[in-house]
Amino acid sequence: MAERVFITGMGMISAIGNNVVENLRSLRLQQSGLGHTRYIATIHKDVLPVAEVKLSTEKLATMAGFESTGGYTRTTLLGLVAISEALTAAGIADAKELPAALINASTVGGMCDTEKVYFDILDPQKEGTFLQYIDTLDCADCTQRMADITGIREYVTTISTACSSSANALMYGARLIQQGLVQRAVCGGTEALTRFTINGFNSLKNIDKQFCRPFDQQRNGLNLGEGAAYLVLESESLARQRGARILAELSGWCNTNEAFHPTAPSPEGDGAYEAMKNALAMSGRTVEEVQYVNVHGTATLNNDVSEGKALERLFGAQVPRFSSTKPFTGHTLAAAGAIEAIYAVLSIGQQMIFPNLHFSEKMEELAIVPETRLLEEYPVQNVISNSFGFGGNNASLVFSKYEG
Amino acid sequence: MKGKVYIRGCAAISPQESFSGSFVPQPPTLADDNILRAKEPDYKAFIAPNNLRRMSRMLKMGLTAALQCLQNAGITVPDAIITGTGKGSLQDTERFLHDIRQYAEAALNPTPFIQSTYNSVNGLIALQQQCTRYNNTFVHRGFSFEHAVLDGLMLLREGNAANVLAGGFDEITKEHFYIKSRIGYWKTALTQPADLFSSNTPGALAGEGAVFFVLGAAPAAVSLEGIKMMYKPSQESLGQALETFLSQHQLTPADIDLLITGQSGDSNHDHWYQFVQQKYFPDTIATPFKHLCGEYDTAGAFALWMAVQRMQEEERLKHVLIYNQFYGEQHTLMLLGR
Amino acid sequence: MEALKLKLKQQIIEALNLQDTRPEDIDDNAPLFGEGLGLDSIDSLELMVLLERQYQIKVEDPREGRKILQSVQTMAEFIKSKQAA
Repeated sequence: MAERVFITGMGMISAIGNNVVENLRSLRLQQSGLGHTRYIATIHKDVLPVAEVKLSTEKLATMAGFESTGGYTRTTLLGLVAISEALTAAGIADAKELPAALINASTVGGMCDTEKVYFDILDPQKEGTFLQYIDTLDCADCTQRMADITGIREYVTTISTACSSSANALMYGARLIQQGLVQRAVCGGTEALTRFTINGFNSLKNIDKQFCRPFDQQRNGLNLGEGAAYLVLESESLARQRGARILAELSGWCNTNEAFHPTAPSPEGDGAYEAMKNALAMSGRTVEEVQYVNVHGTATLNNDVSEGKALERLFGAQVPRFSSTKPFTGHTLAAAGAIEAIYAVLSIGQQMIFPNLHFSEKMEELAIVPETRLLEEYPVQNVISNSFGFGGNNASLVFSKYEG
Repeated sequence: MKGKVYIRGCAAISPQESFSGSFVPQPPTLADDNILRAKEPDYKAFIAPNNLRRMSRMLKMGLTAALQCLQNAGITVPDAIITGTGKGSLQDTERFLHDIRQYAEAALNPTPFIQSTYNSVNGLIALQQQCTRYNNTFVHRGFSFEHAVLDGLMLLREGNAANVLAGGFDEITKEHFYIKSRIGYWKTALTQPADLFSSNTPGALAGEGAVFFVLGAAPAAVSLEGIKMMYKPSQESLGQALETFLSQHQLTPADIDLLITGQSGDSNHDHWYQFVQQKYFPDTIATPFKHLCGEYDTAGAFALWMAVQRMQEEERLKHVLIYNQFYGEQHTLMLLGR
Repeated sequence: MEALKLKLKQQIIEALNLQDTRPEDIDDNAPLFGEGLGLDSIDSLELMVLLERQYQIKVEDPREGRKILQSVQTMAEFIKSKQAA
């Protein structure tokens, strides 16, 4: 019998707060982080809304404990801020104390900083401090710097499966624990806004010029966001042995692929359905025991139809409360799965369901509508968190209340 | 570890004649730069014209190697597709960066953006083979392919798969070669692969390739006994990890019939191999491989492919150990048996 | 109109890298998507880029794009109507 996997610490930074407490406060106050970029040089800055972390890269460097940015990318700094909160929250003063895994996720790595100096790097005539960013473009740079600073080194790797990246990182870390390869895995993702991704999604014509409206008939695309989030996963035996505070159990997971189209899900939500169904089966819970689904809900035309159909297929006439929190945080791509995993744990811990902002009109394809109110003192025992992405990569996670 | 894992099929597109016909290791002759380029097959035999027209080089190379590997293993739909890539489709990433500048962010082609995402090869394989199950992509330099292998081994142990397609792919472009040359990745003077190990100069020769494997529980000629990764180890901790790894498999260094090492001719980093060979394998037959495929993030996949070829040819090889590291940071041991 | 349609066909072949297709293979009224040329939604985005770069016509809404990009005929008519406006 494989060991159960518990969450013993969480840390995050997003457009609605620089730590978990601030995120929770914004969720309760229904304050969205969407607005316009202050830090990206793009012709789209006044047109395409984004959910940006409200700190300059220099400020982030200070928060992370550095005198200057000194070759650390925004991606890395966001990650460092979030991971140090997670370790502190888990009561881990020295991460080197036992062999642990750092499973990180990113989609464009250090692009946020390298895109600014890319053509200088290509110019043999140019020399300067920009050269310290030369090896930060890939996804491994941020992970390794986080590993080096925290001292986690037994397993160090990075996953990139588009929008499901950090959900897969959590899954992979949990499996390393179940296989007995480590007793602790710190998993999550970090993503900084870049001109590259803004233009990329804009070239796909799926960025809404208004604030995104998940599951709304009038929805017209996503808004990008940035942030980082990490969860400390521990085996039951380690958590008990050290008397860790257990926040929730990661009780089920499943990864599937749509095999339908490079950028679009199947219209009936086959992959989403399979992912949710199998994750729930693994958790040993029934559909009736799920009180909340934190949906992927990007507000693109395709995703919400496909995901909504999958919910209707899985839950029939009894679809539980569901909401997309992307109108708060924007779509943070590789960080989304971990940010929303923390919201799922908060939902259980606070007995609260977060509202789906900007919703007004039911979609014609669906019979269901998202929860638009903040529900407090709501008995949340089990939450499904969905992350679906490009390349057909789907991941569903099940978080369950820890009963002691 | 419960149950053995076998290598049921493999395929490699590399700077060698590795894709079709029999493999005769031959260091290529370089004309004007320190790049070992992959010998690409005719993709039309594998990919329908309507799909081929949009694909960039890395996607074609990755997809084709994966398809040939499945064919060699006699499998149509694997239970999982797991890949590793350090850089993904560099051509697409570069093109999108250049397009953003050239067209001042207006009217950009979406295709290079879509294909620049690291999981695009995985998605294509899944799409072409209609594989709707587990799918994952690791993007971590010298641990990219290696974690794809570990993930595959775990899936098999968990009983969640009978056959896993695991592979690694990377390409080199002129532009990326230049970028990395600015931080000393490559040798500065033109160096022939045949002279690589006597060059005694800093830097490596750049390489590329796409190599895939089907890992499964059903017996085959070669088994993958285990994998061990070490991040930025000290010489001492590397030695300890090596000893522990072998003893976990009830082996000592003397039991290893062939040692495959990732020497790249880089005077900054080859001391790792000298240490391991001198301390543990002074009398073991050892062979390098980077004079055949060059240095790149997922070169470990080529080493594994070469090990399988050698074991298929030479019955006497019972245990083969691969030791590879990437610029001193990611170190990996892979053990093969029968 | 005929000249425009021929030019459009050449541009479509180039933009979408339709290697074994010649302009005369494309019927003015044949559907570009699905069974016709077998194009998909990414091609439709590429064709919108073509309209913007070659004809300075911006199509914002993918749903509107689908109507315009039904066939070479509908594309040509749309371009003419925009140029006349």
